[in-house]
Order: sequence, then structure tokens, then C-alpha cells
Amino acid sequence: MHLFSSICVLLWTLSTFVLTRSVTGDKVLVVLEDSAEKDLYSQFWADLESRSFKLSFESPKTESLSLFKLGAPAYDHVILLPPKSKGYGPNLTPKNLLEYTNAGGNILLALSSEAVTPSAISSLLLEFDIALPSDRTSQVVDHFSYDTTSSAENHNVVLLPRPSPLRPDVVNFFGGDGILAVPKAVGQTLGNSSPLIAPILKAPATSYVYNPKEEADGELDVFATGSQISLISALQARNSARFTVLGSLEMLQDKWFDASVQAPGGKSVKTVNKDFARQLTAWTFKEVGVLKVGHVEHHQVLDASKPVSNTTQVGPADPEIYRIKTDVSFSIELSTWDHDHYKPFIAPAADAVQLEFSMLSPFQRLALTPVSTTPNSTVYSTTFRTPDQHGIFAFKVNYKRPFLTNVEERRQVTVRHFAHDEWPRSWRISQAWPWISGLWTIIGGFLCFVVLWLYCEPTGEGREKMKRETQ
Amino acid sequence: MRLFHSLLQASIIALSATPALAASWTFTDATVSVQSKGTGVGGSQKESLKAGKPLAKAITLGPSDSLKIILTTQEDKSAKRPHQAFLLLKDATSNLDVSYPLSVKETGKAKVDLTQKELPTQFTRKGSKITASLVIASFGSSTGYNSEVFTLDVASDQGLPASTSGKPLRYGKLPEIHHIFRGDQKMPNILISTIFTLAAVATLPILLGAWLFLGGNVNHLQKALSDAPVAHALFVGSIVGLEGILFMYYSSWNLFQTLPALVAVGTVTFLSGSRALTEVQDRRLAGLR
Repeated sequence: MHLFSSICVLLWTLSTFVLTRSVTGDKVLVVLEDSAEKDLYSQFWADLESRSFKLSFESPKTESLSLFKLGAPAYDHVILLPPKSKGYGPNLTPKNLLEYTNAGGNILLALSSEAVTPSAISSLLLEFDIALPSDRTSQVVDHFSYDTTSSAENHNVVLLPRPSPLRPDVVNFFGGDGILAVPKAVGQTLGNSSPLIAPILKAPATSYVYNPKEEADGELDVFATGSQISLISALQARNSARFTVLGSLEMLQDKWFDASVQAPGGKSVKTVNKDFARQLTAWTFKEVGVLKVGHVEHHQVLDASKPVSNTTQVGPADPEIYRIKTDVSFSIELSTWDHDHYKPFIAPAADAVQLEFSMLSPFQRLALTPVSTTPNSTVYSTTFRTPDQHGIFAFKVNYKRPFLTNVEERRQVTVRHFAHDEWPRSWRISQAWPWISGLWTIIGGFLCFVVLWLYCEPTGEGREKMKRETQ
Repeated sequence: MRLFHSLLQASIIALSATPALAASWTFTDATVSVQSKGTGVGGSQKESLKAGKPLAKAITLGPSDSLKIILTTQEDKSAKRPHQAFLLLKDATSNLDVSYPLSVKETGKAKVDLTQKELPTQFTRKGSKITASLVIASFGSSTGYNSEVFTLDVASDQGLPASTSGKPLRYGKLPEIHHIFRGDQKMPNILISTIFTLAAVATLPILLGAWLFLGGNVNHLQKALSDAPVAHALFVGSIVGLEGILFMYYSSWNLFQTLPALVAVGTVTFLSGSRALTEVQDRRLAGLR
């Protein structure tokens, strides 16, 4: 009986132990006001649930809705759909959303040009340096790459390929083949000063933001044009919490997940919206692009010119004190989470993980090269010579890149000056040779004098004198 | 007859139901001119643009020049006002694109003015190759016009320094820093040191030579050794030994190894020395010294 119950308990724990796909957790809060809308996105919810996310659908007007429970975030991720009424209600004020981000929660905010974005959300995004058009009904149109089957007159379903890497040294989590359909998108522009925001999907060069309610014969007042329009923007806070602003909510609808679209003058193709939605939620909910630091070590290398072949050539691990002008080796182990396991992290070719050896400012900034790989991580290492300045130094690895979580490691060490017996000896200093040779010449002369004095016999005049005195 | 009528009707319907060729936007009467400040109307460089044929020569825009484009937009030979009429400037190397809307009247006449101040700073940097295209399109099924019309050469102001302060912070690889170590302590020329070393060392043979000239000798060595061999050997040996210990202290020993050795050898010197010097005194009293 005991054996049976213990087997039952074992099986039960094994069945509930689901490997969570996200590093943060699997509880997702979906805020939508109209539960009839839920069915329009059924494939999207099913996709999330197949990745073992637990969705809770709540209306923003629910009294008991709270992002926090007893001070800790109640949900790991939040998806916000545009509300029908003026705002998200008293439980989801911008202040609450900001506190949630500060607590490490990830947010996917979906906007639509059919629904009015609450002014509180507009101000919140402006604080992030993401600007929305001031009139609430603007949408992105493109007269050159639009879907002729569904928007032959309005040109507001923009077709574009999946994005290429933002820069050559940035990892691209959203790339691939195929055409995306972005219907009725709210275009955003990103400010220039913040390094925390990045565009995930930029509009094509011939597109612009258009307000359908604008007077037709007035001057065209463009909010933004071309690739300055960011259709999907991402913010990664300094604590690595992710906030994605999705300009077009309709691109997640079932109808667009497997639609056939045709650009003017092109063939009819199927969209890859489903795959892209998977990539977008995988990044926002921390299934990809999460870095982990493993073992960090530094030690002294006794002879940097020879490769280290056995452990007697290195000093003890992580000493607290080094001397100036010694060879030191530093190594750090980095892994990246890939949906369900940690795999070795390889920095992009144009990028480098850098080590700074700095007191108040860096004295050395060197690229760490991968030296070995374990099944789950890569070890990056470099060897350098400590500067000839003594003081309190720190080994710093500060690796922050768009779309990757932040890595900041700091190890503090003392660097002492030469000890009294580590200076070069006097005979190695050519300037000292006259003094040394003079001294030893004197000593040699003294010894000769001793021998001479003990055993000398007077000769010549002295002998005559001596003979006279003794007689 | 009936058949003929129905055939005629069918053919008329068929003909009228044939879709008309899709309309497309284009432009005519286009000129681009660059006017330098202060030269008046006559001093401008003027070129006329043709749809579908980009200009062979590049247009230069100086720091105080203004670029002006005038054209008439057309939809299939009839002047009409499109919804979108932009001048699209694109940098070939960095893929940065920026559009300037033209102000279009109902009659289709459009114009736009540009100075270097309105260009983004990335375009005014050296080495940027900018292609200018006209984008004319509107809602509906008409095909839009989007093709290159000329190449823009931005002449930066030679006097102003390149603004390096405006670059915003972006996360990325920072420039490498390799610490430059202070050089070794500088010595005077090794030749000078060698000359003075030789000069110092040369004094010893000169001294010995002077002693020999003055009659120095070791004639009593045989006699002294026959009278007190142990004492003399130990005495001279221990004096040499003391100097040897001091040499070891200079080269490798520390004080704690040196002092006991000095004490030990010094004792030998003292004890043997009293006997050796007694022998010397005997020689002196015998009148040999």
C-alpha cells in the first residue's frame, strides 16, 4: 500500500513537472475587455498554451485584478489588448505597469488604429521615448506594397518581409523567409537618446502615417515616413524586463495567420504571421535571448608566452592581490536560453564580449575570445598584463546588447607595487657599474695591503736605516 | 437577326467589360534647381527631370544652398493631385531613408524646397552617397511612381568641424584600450659607464705597480709560514673569508645568514690573528722589519 501510494506521488510530481519554456515563468495575464474578441485570436492562444503558458483572461474593469500579490508579481507576463473604454481602469494605471516592469515582468502591449489608444498609455510610451501619432485614428499606409485582395482602395494592409538584423553585431530573433501582413497598424517613432529601445519591425521606405479623418484637400502633415516608422518596438529595461509595443493587433488574428496576400504586381503567397507571432512572443516572454553567467575566474599566469599546459604554471584561483606588471588570465562562462535548455552563447561575428580592467576608468579593454565549450555554455577568456599603476582594480564584464539580457559582472582585486626584493639588482643597472667596480677594487686593494704588510721585507733606504737602528 | 443582335450586344458588353489598362502616376514639367544664397535668380543650377530617366550628373548642394523641385503630377496624362508626393532621399551605404513631402495643389502643380539644415546629420557626413527618388502615389488601383531621379552630392562646410558630440549612446562594442606601459628607467650610454668602470678597475694594477716600485715584496712569507704556518694561514684566510661573506651578502644572502657566518669567521680571525701578529712582532724585535 505504501509502495503504491509513493509510486502515485512520484508519477504525480513527474506529470506536473513541466519544463517551463520561459525563464521567468509561465503565468500570462491577458487583458481584454470584450470577451467576444477572444475567439478572433484562437490560434494565437492555442499556440501560447502549446508552449506551456497558462493564460488568464481578465477584463480591465475587474475589481480584483491586480498585477501584484502580496508584493510579488502575480503574473509573469501580461498581454494588453486595446480597451473599448477610455483607459485600462484603476488597476492597470501606467504607474502600476511601470512598477510591474521594475519588478521584472514582461509586457506585450498591442495597439490598433481601430481602437483609440488611451492617453495615459501614450504618455507612458512617450516616457520610454516611443512617440505615437497625436490623432488617435492614424494608420500606416503604403501605396507600393499593400495587399490587393483585402485593401485595394485603402492600402492599409502593409506587406513586408521579416526584418533583417538591426546592426551587424546584433542577434536577430525575428528573421526568416516569407511575407508579413500588417493590417491597420499604429506607426511609432523612436527617439534618439535612449539605448534601451530598438525597432523590431520597420515600415518599408515608401510608407507613411495617414489619418483617414483628415481633410482631403489640406496640406499633408506627415507624422513619420519610411523606415523611421517602427511598426513593432521593443524596450528592454535595465533589469532586463521586456516591453514590446505591437502596432497592429490585427496581425495576430486567425484570419491573418493563414491568409493569402498579393502585392500589386506580385504573386499570391501565404503570410508567415503565425511564425512571426511565435518569434515575437518568444522574445517578449523571455524564451530566447536570455544570457546566464556561469563560472567566473581569474588567476595569475607565470609565463604568458608559453601556452598553459599544466596547473603548476598558473597561480591559485581568484587571488585577492596581484602585483603590477604580471600576466593574468580571466575567464567567464556564458550560456543562452533557447526555449527549453541552455546552450553555448556565441557572440555575433562583428561583436565582442569585452573585459575591462579598471580602477576609476578602464586601463585595459580587451576582447574575450571563446576558448572552450561545454554542452551548455561557452568559456570566454583572455590573458593580459596588469598595468604599472598600483591600486584597487576590478575585472568588469559589461555586456549589454539590444534584444539580449544584460550581463554585468565585477570582481575586485588589489594590485600592489613591487616588493623591496622584486626590483632589478644593482649589477643589472649599467649606471651602477663604476660604483660597484670601485668598491670591489678598494676591497681587493685592502687584501693586497694586508698581505704586503704582514710579509714585506724592507729594501733599499729602509734597510740601511734599519741596520743603523739595530746596531 | 435576333442572333446578330444578341451577338452584337454580347460583343459590346464584352468590349465595355474589358478592364481599362491600370492607370499609373507620373509627372511632367519637372525641374530641379540649386540656388546659392546671395547670387540672385541668375546664379542657380537648373536641370529638367524626365520620368524614368535619372540625371547623369549629380546635383551638388552646398551648405547655404537651397534645392528646389517643381513638377506637375499626372495620372495617365491628366494632371491630378495624388495623396502621396514625396522626395525620398536614400543613403546607399547605411540604408537610411528620409522623405520630404511636396506641397501639391489641386491642379497637380507640386514643389518642395530643401536646405542642408533640413537634412539629417548622417547625410551631411563625408562619403555618403545619396540617391533622390520621387514617390507619387495615391489610394485606389493606380500604380504609383517610385524611381530615382538624380543623385545628390552634399558638400559639407569646410570651415565647421565635424560634430562628434551629437552621437547618442548605443549598446555595442567599445573601442579596445591597451595600456601603454611606462618605459624602463633610462640609463646613460653604456659606453660611458664602461669607461669609468675600467678607470676604477685600472687603479688596482697602478697601485700594485706603485708598491712594487717603492720596494714592496713578500720575502718574509717563507719565514713566517715556517714559524707559524697555521696561524698565518688561518689569519689571512679568514680575512679573505670575511670579504667573501660580505660578497655573498651582496649577491644573494640575507642578513640572518650573514651575521652568524661573520661572527664565526671573525672569531677565527681574532684567535689566529693574535698568534700571527705575535710572530710579526718577533720579526720586528729581531730587526728584520
